[in-house]
Amino acid sequence: MGVRTIFLPLLILVVALGITWLAWNHEHQVSRVGLRSQFDSSLREAASRIEQRMAAYEQILRGVQGLLATTGMFDRSALRDYVNTIQLDTNYAGIQAIGVVELVPSQRKDGHISAMRRLGFVDYEIHPEGPRDVYAPIIQREPYFGRNRARLGFDPWSDPVRRLAMEKARDSSMAALSGKVRLTIDAEVDAPPSFVMYLPLFAQGQPHGSVTQRRAHLAGWVYIAFRMSDFMASLYGTLPQGLTLAIFDDVDLSEAALLYRSAEDSARRQRPAEDLLTANEYLVAAGHTWTLSMSTLPEFETRFGHDAASVIAMAGTGLSLLVALLAWMMVTGRVRVQRLAAAMTEELRHLAQHDSLTGLPNRALFSDRLNHELVRAKRHGEHFALIFLDLDNFKLINDNFGHAVGDLVLQQIALRLRDSIRASDTVGRIGGDEFVVLMPELPESNDALGLAEKIRQAVRQPIAIDDRELVMSCSLGVAIYPDDGTDEIALTKNADTAMYQAKENGRDSVRRNTSDKPTSARVLTGS
Amino acid sequence: MALHDHGLLYSADTDSGIDKDVVDELIRRSGCKITVNVMPRARIWQLIESGALDFSLSGISNGERSKFASFAWYFSNKYYLLVRKDSEVHSLADFSGNNRLRLGVIRSFRYSDSANQLVDRLQEAGRISQSSGLAPLYQALMLNQIQGMIIEPFDYPTVEENKIRERTAIIEFNDPAVPHGLIMSKKALPLDEQEKWRALVQEMRSDGTLRRIFEKYFQPALAAAMVGY
Repeated sequence: MGVRTIFLPLLILVVALGITWLAWNHEHQVSRVGLRSQFDSSLREAASRIEQRMAAYEQILRGVQGLLATTGMFDRSALRDYVNTIQLDTNYAGIQAIGVVELVPSQRKDGHISAMRRLGFVDYEIHPEGPRDVYAPIIQREPYFGRNRARLGFDPWSDPVRRLAMEKARDSSMAALSGKVRLTIDAEVDAPPSFVMYLPLFAQGQPHGSVTQRRAHLAGWVYIAFRMSDFMASLYGTLPQGLTLAIFDDVDLSEAALLYRSAEDSARRQRPAEDLLTANEYLVAAGHTWTLSMSTLPEFETRFGHDAASVIAMAGTGLSLLVALLAWMMVTGRVRVQRLAAAMTEELRHLAQHDSLTGLPNRALFSDRLNHELVRAKRHGEHFALIFLDLDNFKLINDNFGHAVGDLVLQQIALRLRDSIRASDTVGRIGGDEFVVLMPELPESNDALGLAEKIRQAVRQPIAIDDRELVMSCSLGVAIYPDDGTDEIALTKNADTAMYQAKENGRDSVRRNTSDKPTSARVLTGS
Repeated sequence: MALHDHGLLYSADTDSGIDKDVVDELIRRSGCKITVNVMPRARIWQLIESGALDFSLSGISNGERSKFASFAWYFSNKYYLLVRKDSEVHSLADFSGNNRLRLGVIRSFRYSDSANQLVDRLQEAGRISQSSGLAPLYQALMLNQIQGMIIEPFDYPTVEENKIRERTAIIEFNDPAVPHGLIMSKKALPLDEQEKWRALVQEMRSDGTLRRIFEKYFQPALAAAMVGY
């Protein structure tokens, strides 16, 4: 039973915890997939916003390209008016400058410089200096104020990073982005990361359907210069909370190639990266690749992770313990109930066999013991005595002092009877004021009379109840086995007769029936 | 019509490729004026779905796409997994079984069945790096930021470049060749228009024009296998 009381609840606990783990694990996986999906969608959205914004800027540049294809690249007022009209500062905050680059073969260099100086740029020079086959100086930059008033004449063709984009734009006739550059208008050493978008300008009226034609009739470029931080600030929408974004030029993830880093990304880099979701996306915009590197912060998980897993874990563990406890209570409860039932059965048995007032064996138990003793005495050839005891005038006690006092008297008498007999003797109560005593194993027949006398004297001792002293007496009738009978009926009749003889002879005495026939007979059992 | 920059299909740098030749032929035969743009593949599918774009080329179908696009098939090809040799991948299972390996894919691209399954499984595990073009994937592969990418025959010339060939191996997906075709937006083109274009493409197949275009870029046997599916 002990093993079972532990094993079953333990088994239930293990199974319930197992189910909890399965549910937790499932929910955890679902949550991770959901979180990953949210993360992927955020990365896709960020890439899409950059692409869309880039496309919008490309349209601006296409507008400039179309304008200059119509007016020619030397109509400086056309570009100025165009930029003023589109309200660059308000609508296109990412743009630092829109400009024009003229393709100048080396043989036209001097004439080009003279022409520019005649326009009022008195100190105009192509820089960096030095002889080259082809020059491609910036000849106009709008809006022409602030930093944009920096010296014209810078030759982006001389810079390999810019030149690559210019060549791409020329050959494809499409917009091309440069890699990470420092803008010429930024003089400071730690200038912010920037990039340039180019579109080609072809000689008016000349075909440019093929790469060869484009190379042959290239006249220059229009460009937009961007500061990366301004470009990012000009995007519509913001990153969801808890995400960090870094953008690198090309697929190089080194600090040297870093174009942009969100404020949160700097914070993330100071923390261990375990458990964070990270992904790179390669974005090809205007023929150039940027790598978007996105990561999550713990806030992202808090915000978007439906953390039912921990609730399931806690609730499941709690319920598992509760169910196991319940099972333990049910198993051990059965044992407790069985014990209680046994105790109650025992109590019922005692009640069935004993007198409730005095606690002495009742008629049924006494009869049982008497029959037992008859069998025993017969087998061993022994003597035993049956004594009937009736209190004298007990009715007067009830009448004069009430039944409560009567009951107390009966209890006192029962105590005295118990104290007067031997350990092997049995005293029982079979009626209102009638008691019986069974005395087994009597060495001599007269021993019974002596014992009965002792009982009579004990009963005569005064009884103190409620400051009152009562003196009781009793009449006793003795029957000896086998002299006065060899069965229950005969012995009972003789003891009863003897007791009535004692009553008839003045009460308060002990008698043994000496006549051949009893004057009256009562059967101990069954009355 | 929109094209996407993808190996031999179309190179924006040189403004040439199979798709460019096919467009030129379609323009010639139909007598229509068709404006050609170049944009990311994901954008092309969005615009085809919305009806803002009429055509694109070299598209494959799936349940989702067939709801908004109609196709005129003109070639088919298989897909291959290009992996770094040092990733010690000898089978598709090796790749999906190693959690450290990342696969680079072009956003919105779909492939043959088992390739799609691989991509979807890795996507769920966060092992995919998306790209809006093909070129960065080769660079990322060489820098070991990704360890594998899915290629098609159009990518052979790039893969054959020494620095890539020496460091990579090719594993074939055991799927049948997947048909590719002219993509037509159902929103933009009525059914009878779609049928006319389908007939035009079929004519280009039947008279050997498409085969000749493919033979400019592939060995004759491979070209024949691709257009003679």
